[in-house]
Amino acid sequence: MDPETVAAAQQGDALALDRLLDELAPYVRRLCARIAPAAADDATQEALLAVFRGLPSLRAPEAIMTWVRSVTVRTAIRLARQHDLEVATEGTRMDRCASSLEGLVDIDDALARLPVSQRVVLVLRTREGLSEQEIATTLGIPAGTVKSRLHRARAAFREVWES
Amino acid sequence: MNDPVALPDIDPIDRLAILAAALPGAAVRQRRIAAPFDAVWQVIADLEHATPRYEPAVAQVRVIEQHGEFLRLLVQDTAGREDAMDARLRPGWCLMQSATLVIAFAARRVGRETLLAHLEHRRAQTPAPDRSGSHHRRAALAKIDQELQTIERLATRYGR
Repeated sequence: MDPETVAAAQQGDALALDRLLDELAPYVRRLCARIAPAAADDATQEALLAVFRGLPSLRAPEAIMTWVRSVTVRTAIRLARQHDLEVATEGTRMDRCASSLEGLVDIDDALARLPVSQRVVLVLRTREGLSEQEIATTLGIPAGTVKSRLHRARAAFREVWES
Repeated sequence: MNDPVALPDIDPIDRLAILAAALPGAAVRQRRIAAPFDAVWQVIADLEHATPRYEPAVAQVRVIEQHGEFLRLLVQDTAGREDAMDARLRPGWCLMQSATLVIAFAARRVGRETLLAHLEHRRAQTPAPDRSGSHHRRAALAKIDQELQTIERLATRYGR
């Protein structure tokens, strides 16, 4: 990410904002699709709105990707939980492990069946390649909590994958 | 880790909302226009001929450079003052910027009609929450509404 583009965007240069959006949108959408697969479009739009609204408050332009990741992951978690809650309230949710296992075609599909708190650490570790410390920073939780969530998430993933 | 995930482009109307979020004080309105997307976009993309017809302060627009989607424009206002603008133009998205002004259009097909959004923003302005600020804002929104109506009339003619 070009720091000059980020700095110009922070100053309200609309063409720099447009370039920044071109660069950030695919990353934000990919994260949202993995963390909140059932609400990916809404999560992407909300995360990008939050990023662009908060851009002037970013003190270190060179740290933009870390900040964007954090804003996006938190937004995607919120939307994923909201979606889960709405589905549960509607009473249409089937047992997660029992639902159409024949449709389990890839790893993202299996990840989508985990609880949000486990899915997010596994996505960030295995699909985005973050370290446990980076995940802790992104989520604002202790590294020890990340480690234990990862342990439970891997076990849950194996169970879904092998069932 | 980098396996492909389907990544459709951001819808232009959503893109305009994101841009507006980064431009405090920007005035944005949208209108569902009773004309097909191609007819509406023909008006927006015809910067040299159509702009002076819907923007009352503009007398003339000249495209002086073009590199793909990126343009450089010379805009003359009705008082004879000239201003350079940089622009990006592609179907559904038009963004123009001078040292003092940002103008943007975004369009989305809605069946046989078109949703058109229009943003105007004075750069380096501090949004004023007082009475004069809200008066200016109302005036800016009314001006945009008027322009969108004029664009609809032009697009309806193009679409025939």
